[in-house]
Amino acid sequence: MIEGILIGLGTALNPLNILFVFAGCLIGTFIGMLPGLGPMSAIALMIPVAASLEPATGIILMAAVYYGAIFGGSTSSVLINAPGVASTVATSFDGYPMAKQGKAGKALAIAAYSSFSGGVIAAIFLLVAAPFLAAVSLSFHSADYFALMVLGLTAVAAFAGKGDVLKALLMTVVGLMLSTVGTDQTQGVPRFTLGLIDLTDGISFLLLVMATFALSEALIAILKPSGDDKRQEEMEASSNLGSMKVSGEEVREMVPVIGRSSILGFIIGVLPGAGATIASFLAYGTEQRLAGPEKGKLFGKGSVRGLSAPETANNAAATGSFVPLLTLGIPGSGTTAIMLGALIGYGIQPGPRLYIDQPAVFWSVIVSMWIGNIVLLVLNLPLIPYIAKVLAIPSRFLLPLILFFSLIGVYFVSFNTFDIQLMVLFGLVAVMLRFLDFPMAPMILGFILGGMMEENLRRALLINNDSWSFLWQRPLTLIILLIALCCLFAPMAWSNIQRLRRGADKAGEGG
Amino acid sequence: MLFSKDRIGGVLLLAFCITYGFLSQNITLLPIQAKAAFTARTMPEVLMVLGIGLSLLVVIFPGANERPQLAGFNWGRAAFFLVLMSAYGLTIRPLGFILSTSLFLMAGFAMLGERSALKLFLVAVPLVVCFWLLMTQGLDVFIEPLPWFLKG
Repeated sequence: MIEGILIGLGTALNPLNILFVFAGCLIGTFIGMLPGLGPMSAIALMIPVAASLEPATGIILMAAVYYGAIFGGSTSSVLINAPGVASTVATSFDGYPMAKQGKAGKALAIAAYSSFSGGVIAAIFLLVAAPFLAAVSLSFHSADYFALMVLGLTAVAAFAGKGDVLKALLMTVVGLMLSTVGTDQTQGVPRFTLGLIDLTDGISFLLLVMATFALSEALIAILKPSGDDKRQEEMEASSNLGSMKVSGEEVREMVPVIGRSSILGFIIGVLPGAGATIASFLAYGTEQRLAGPEKGKLFGKGSVRGLSAPETANNAAATGSFVPLLTLGIPGSGTTAIMLGALIGYGIQPGPRLYIDQPAVFWSVIVSMWIGNIVLLVLNLPLIPYIAKVLAIPSRFLLPLILFFSLIGVYFVSFNTFDIQLMVLFGLVAVMLRFLDFPMAPMILGFILGGMMEENLRRALLINNDSWSFLWQRPLTLIILLIALCCLFAPMAWSNIQRLRRGADKAGEGG
Repeated sequence: MLFSKDRIGGVLLLAFCITYGFLSQNITLLPIQAKAAFTARTMPEVLMVLGIGLSLLVVIFPGANERPQLAGFNWGRAAFFLVLMSAYGLTIRPLGFILSTSLFLMAGFAMLGERSALKLFLVAVPLVVCFWLLMTQGLDVFIEPLPWFLKG
């Protein structure tokens, strides 16, 4: 492991890579701050740039953009109560009231220290957990990988909101369907190409991500009536950030919260399908309960604990979500799904072999997380008053620019104008589906995993002489599939139990 | 509610899954693959069944009964941007990167409320030129800057 860390340090501390960590953190903060644009859009916009770099540098850049975007989301949550990212919604519960009390600087500092601590602690967990899990998963067969992918896809449904389980599953299937477009990998026959040569290579993953996130988010902002006036007013109100100093008493209050939320966030982040949003809400709820009746009342009114908990947890979860990506090659979230696509674009197959075959990529990503967190604290925090000016850029200039960067990002990869037309079509469909509250992240996850899932299933069948019996005869495969079934049915069973309980309570009251 | 968000989405995706199912039957199989357990059609057929089943479940058991809110949105403006993006795709080659992108941005800024012609020009053109220089000189990605009639 020490050797690995040294390799990682050697790569991550390369001046060019440090420069990209700086640039990534800054760009990520900038994009994450824009309401509506989250880490997925930020990373998607970076892919064309990352594609022209060395694999380790490209992945370091994207990881830095990821943290930067989460940090940027916190800033807009605190300053104007407009979370740029879902995972920073809980941050606004106490961050915004603090800013309203004239303590915006302190709120941003608490958010930054918590994010930093959460990220650093989780990176230590990652350092220990990733090689261990990678070593274990070396014994996995194609059948186990197929089962793991089924688990990854069904887990998305388990963490979908109430009433959204079926929609999340349906969108996953739609993503899997889109992944079958193009020439079949082994038999060489065209599938769903509609006679178009442009579809022979399938749908570009970058195109789909850009269309469903960056493009559709900008189009939805265009659809909504302008919110510039309100944004300007909020910015003026928060223009005086106040002191960024955190008192000793506040630090003592934050330390145990950071410890607990880091562990919780990391564990939630490792689980496929969960991610930073759930981690931040869980940490907020947990701390509210642990605070007791007196301090619990302060939650939602500018509580230090209420701000520190979600900020720590969302960063720890962001780091934790790299564990399944780096060790199993299975993304735990939409954001890591995009990173998986980028790695595959480099010809690198994440999974247990990554640790052995590409130690520079594996370790430099882990080491760059520490560097990225330090950069966020040392560089971004003092720069926040200046970076926050981006919130004042009128949307009439910002939105066409986002559309332009999305379109040109895809065009610069293929130089095919058909891709622009296809992107417009996907963007339109994505806007419609988002209006109808159908989630996009499960579709991306399905699209990325579709090809690998089919390949592993095909290989497992070949090894088993065309017999499907491996699904129940191989214990590990069976266990993973049973966990997947539990993930699928547990939320439905739980909501039914609650409904029955409520019914019984009502009957009791009536009787 | 009959026309809830979930039901409308479910019906749209049901139509997509049925079309996908029909098209999956057009996948050609070699004679030697006819009896194989896994062919190029297997995965699409499984997905078709799953997709149709799930979309029917969404239609029959919608999670929420909320109706889609269509009022209060700038639908015309969004339609304009869709057309503008499509036109950008069609003009980027014949008009060259600098002219087509400048026109795209200026039309976009103007559509979203910028009235000063000078500002439109001063924001769009320098930005496009700088971006082109960054791509060609900085990242070695060449893209034709000039329209067809100015090319040498």
